[in-house]
Amino acid sequence: MRGLAVARARVALVVVALAVATGLAAAAHAQERPRLTFAQLSDSLRANFDVTREMKSYSGREVEIQGFIVPAGPPDLSFFLLSRVSALGNYCCEAPVGQDETVYVFAPRGARIAYDPLRVYRVRGTFEAGKHVDASYGVSMFRIRDAKVEEAVGARIFKVGESPRP
Amino acid sequence: MSELGIALRFLRGRRLAGLLTALSVALAVALIVASVVLARGVRTAFVEGTTDYNLVVGAKGSATQLVMSVVFRLDTPLPNIRVSSYEGLREDRRIEVAVPVALGDAYRGFRYVATTSAYFAPAPWRRTTLAVTAGRWFRDDPPGQPSHEAVLGAEAARRTGLRLGDRFYEGEEMAAHPLTVVGILGPGRGADDRAIFISLASYWDMNEIARATSDKPLTAVLVRPRRMSDLPGLHRQLNLADDTQAAFPSVVLLTIFNLLDVAEDVMALVLALVAIVSGLGLAVSMYRATWERRREIATLRALGAGRPAILRIVVLECGLLATAGAVTGVVGGEALAYAGARVLAGRLGVVADPLALGWPPLAVLVATMLVGTLAGLLPALTAHRLDVAEHLAPVS
Repeated sequence: MRGLAVARARVALVVVALAVATGLAAAAHAQERPRLTFAQLSDSLRANFDVTREMKSYSGREVEIQGFIVPAGPPDLSFFLLSRVSALGNYCCEAPVGQDETVYVFAPRGARIAYDPLRVYRVRGTFEAGKHVDASYGVSMFRIRDAKVEEAVGARIFKVGESPRP
Repeated sequence: MSELGIALRFLRGRRLAGLLTALSVALAVALIVASVVLARGVRTAFVEGTTDYNLVVGAKGSATQLVMSVVFRLDTPLPNIRVSSYEGLREDRRIEVAVPVALGDAYRGFRYVATTSAYFAPAPWRRTTLAVTAGRWFRDDPPGQPSHEAVLGAEAARRTGLRLGDRFYEGEEMAAHPLTVVGILGPGRGADDRAIFISLASYWDMNEIARATSDKPLTAVLVRPRRMSDLPGLHRQLNLADDTQAAFPSVVLLTIFNLLDVAEDVMALVLALVAIVSGLGLAVSMYRATWERRREIATLRALGAGRPAILRIVVLECGLLATAGAVTGVVGGEALAYAGARVLAGRLGVVADPLALGWPPLAVLVATMLVGTLAGLLPALTAHRLDVAEHLAPVS
């Protein structure tokens, strides 16, 4: 009987240890995923469709960018633009000026994204920086592929000169 | 005799009650399948039938009305913009293609859509390209030299019965401007299938006011930018202008889908209640049947059938009833959805083929068989606990 109790205690200990390890790993993974802002993207642009080496270093890595969804592609949102300004924000803020305002986002087909033009979304996925020509969507400078999209409650969009960290 | 054989014999023993029970399950399943398939069909048709252009530019007013009228031809068009607005867009370096569209009256319910050959031009970003299967395209005739040639969408040609070379008009005032059919399109997307395409020059010549003005009227311009990243700026610029608005077709559709989501949530609740009522009906029917044949069950037990065997027989009987109802219901539901789709397509022209919408009917079929089998558990347990001695006693 005592042997059985000891075995159960060991199993419980292993389960708790695994749970803690999984939690720590998830937290560490979240910390590893950098958050890029539109200010950083804008600052990184150089002449002749080039971007800074620092921005290119994020290519191939999973990043997070927060912004408004502009449904410029099909209504299943398998492709959309992520912008600093809402598609409905015609009269509230300064006008977007072009390529530095948008990230091309490719989401898996069938992913359910609840679209609200006035909400900020957190988009995570594999980042690409630099000029790329797509047959369907043309030239782009910044892309996120295999994107996961969720609402970023209480988020704010950072302008040039501002930083997400205090 | 096998357990399946006994279950089937039990069912034959109460044929009418069994039929009515299976029918009630079938009706519930048909309602669920038809509702789910039709709702998905309408949504899929809007997604598949939308335009490949990223912006629709038209007069100030409702963006939904603009997109619904120009892209899906489901609403009355907004007031006109001027052809000079189109020329401004055509000259804009940010824009790859700008296609003018003018919506006119209709012939037997099929709307005249005046445009240029650019509307049909193939491009790498177009998902489907319309093709003429008989005859040729209309001429891109210059203003003032209208050819009055028409190219018919596949559905418009089929429903009007017009053929190559036929001349047609609707309304006495149009008798002076008859159109001649020069081409018929192959089937493509819903809205274009139901259109009668003509040149802008023909359209302007058919309209008294347009004939008198130099800056001719248009309903909208379809816009494809060179770079998608220019879209937010273009969108804002056109919306801040005095005479135009720009609408993202996908924004309009997603707004409609958000409203549909609410309606579908309510529908799902109603359908869940229908499923629960149907499952309870099946359980009550089986419970009554089990109670009525307690002597037969007691006899089976006395002849050596174990309690687990009795339990399996009753569950099997219930499962058979549910399966019969589910199969009939799925077939009936698909037929209902098909008929509903035909009616909706006739009115709206935007319903996807319900038979092509794969998994929902299959999921309903499997779920019904599962729920039906589970509904048999209560009567099965009653049969399982039946006291043999009590129910074998002579009836006095």
